[in-house]
This record gives sequence, structure tokens and C-alpha cells, in this order.
Amino acid sequence: MALQLKDKDAYQRMNYLYQAAHCVLSQNPENVELARFYCFTQKTIARRLVLRQDPSVKRTLCKKCCSLLIPGVTATTRQRRKNSKTRFTVLHCLSCGQSKTLLNDPNHCLWVDRPEALMEQQKQPDQGPSNKKQTKGKKPDGPVSSKPSAAKSDAKSTAST
Amino acid sequence: MEEALVRATIPQDLEKLLGVESRPHPKAFTDAFLKNSLPHTTRCDVNNLLTHKALILGYSRPKKDKRKSKKPKGLNARQKRAMKVFQLKPEHQRYELFLPLHDLWRQYVIDLCSGLKPTSNPQFVQQKLLKADFHGAIVTVVRSKCPSYVGTTGIIVQEFKHVFKIITREDKLKVIPKRNSVFSVEINGFVSHIYGSKFEQRASERSAKKFKVRGTIDL
Repeated sequence: MALQLKDKDAYQRMNYLYQAAHCVLSQNPENVELARFYCFTQKTIARRLVLRQDPSVKRTLCKKCCSLLIPGVTATTRQRRKNSKTRFTVLHCLSCGQSKTLLNDPNHCLWVDRPEALMEQQKQPDQGPSNKKQTKGKKPDGPVSSKPSAAKSDAKSTAST
Repeated sequence: MEEALVRATIPQDLEKLLGVESRPHPKAFTDAFLKNSLPHTTRCDVNNLLTHKALILGYSRPKKDKRKSKKPKGLNARQKRAMKVFQLKPEHQRYELFLPLHDLWRQYVIDLCSGLKPTSNPQFVQQKLLKADFHGAIVTVVRSKCPSYVGTTGIIVQEFKHVFKIITREDKLKVIPKRNSVFSVEINGFVSHIYGSKFEQRASERSAKKFKVRGTIDL
């Protein structure tokens, strides 16, 4: 099942903006404003067209000031503990001071990572609207999810994959 | 302990183990990191500090942070004005730094149109270009009501509602209004003219908006 064409264009554009933000930051790590501008444009496109973004992409964007969070360059990462059981990671944006808390539960698995959310593996054509939503959620995953794994990886190599 | 060790690149086998890639110019990153973490007073002479003394990182943290005030996730216009726009610190940005961005843009457009000039018809490519993103493209002003704009060439750095911000080859940041100008974009042999008067939308709104064929196209 192919995606509707106008959404695919928008996804490519958001993907490109994300990579461009990384590229600009890698060239000049002091220039946070330009990366913030590109991420803000990306967020606005997603908001206008109501597109779903992958959590791994959303985690690296600050919710308040929309800057790109890279540990060491624009953000601080700390590991904290509530009691002896729950541990979480605190990602602190250096420009606006907003903290983002992420739980480190080894058993917790996101919906999009589960195998039933993958559209391509499903053979049956039923459940029309819910499946479509999942494919749209998966689409930016391919070229983009390799991005956050290496925080300062070369933008060109991921664009060519 | 030599200071050179701080700036040394990671050896190859460690790179594979850790799963990181070493950047070609690590000095810029260490400078930025030091600028962020050093206390306010000694922020001016970073290089001087690196020569002999031991550094105190994260010392004198301001006490006001203890309040932990979680504002709601919005942000107001005051914050937008304070931070968002391009500062271009003391002309840090040189033209060479934006060439990789232009390279990335070229790959993006080729991927978007999925073809080159001889195969696809111009109509199809133009439809794609309407919704495409222009950050990082090299544009030239071809015709304009104001003759001093004609001939300006550069890489688009930012696109706002009515203007383009372009950095030229002489490292000058130029602000060019979109109205009454014709821009030309070139992608490996395929030249396309953009009438700026019809493009007066914010960059993100353009991908949401549909275009109507309206009237005659002229300056």
C-alpha cells in the first residue's frame, strides 16, 4: 500500500530539514539559532499537516524552544534515580532551560517498535484507517532513525542510505 | 598530561568499539563546550586558559535554578524575539561552511524529483518544487523591480514570510524581499524561475497550501 503522495513530499521535507539542522550544527557548533529555525519549520509543517513523527526524532527536539538537542553541544544529559527501582535520564536544554525526563525501563517498548505496528509485514488489507496511520508513522523512521544513534554522524552518509 | 590529548582524535579501533565518528575539526566543538560550561567571568579568554592552568568547570552555578518551575510547554512572543532569529555572531558564518548544506539540498531535490532533466517533464518537477524546501539552495535574482537586487547570488539560509536571507560568496548576509522579484534555481542543468510575488508565504505554510493558477505572471 503506497502512501498518499502529498504526505510523502512533506515527510521528505521534514526529514531534509532535520538533517540540515544537524549539518549546520556540525559545521559551526555555536550557531544554535539556525538549527533552531530549521527544527521550528519542521515542527510547524508537522503541526499544519498533522503528521506523526517518530519518538526517536521527537526526543531530540526541545519542546519549548524547538532547538535540536545534542548531548554535549546544546544539551546536558544526566542519569538520576527516584528510588532504587526507577531510573530516568534527564535531558536539559541549555538555551531555554527546559528539562526532558525519559524513563529507562528495559521492559518498556514503544508501539512503533513492536512488530505488529509494521505495515509491510502485514498481509491482510483490513483495518484501513488504523493501518494507514501506522504507515505514516513509520515513514520517517527509515532515513531518520539512523540519525540519533550517532549524534554527530555525517549527514551525507545518512542521506544516501 | 598534555593539552594535545584533549584535542586528539580517537584511534580507529576505539572508534569502532564506541560507535562514534570523529569529526574533522574537533577544535570548534571543544571551544563551544568550554564556552558553555565555564563560569561567566572567565569566558572571554578560552585559549588563554587552556595553556597552563587547571580549569574549574561548572563552578559557581547560579542559585536561582532551584525553583524547578516547569512552565507549560508553550512559549511566548518575547522568547521568540529574544532567541529565534539568526544572529550571525561576529560574522562567524562563512560561505564555505554552507557548502555541505547545499550539497545536502542537491541530494534532497534529486531524490524528490527522482530523476534528472532529460527524463521528466518540467511540469512534474515544478509541482514538486512548489512544496519543496529551499533552505540551502543557490539562487540568483534574475529580474526585479529594484535593479540593485539583480544579479545577487547566494545560498538561502532562512526563509521568512516576505524575505529570503541569503549569504553571498563574499560572506555577506543579504535580505532580499520576495515581492517583485524573480529568482532562478538551478539543479544540475534544470533551471527553474520562481516568481517571488506568488511565494509570499511562510516556508512551512507553503507545503500546506495549494496553489491556484491566477492571472498573468509578471513582476
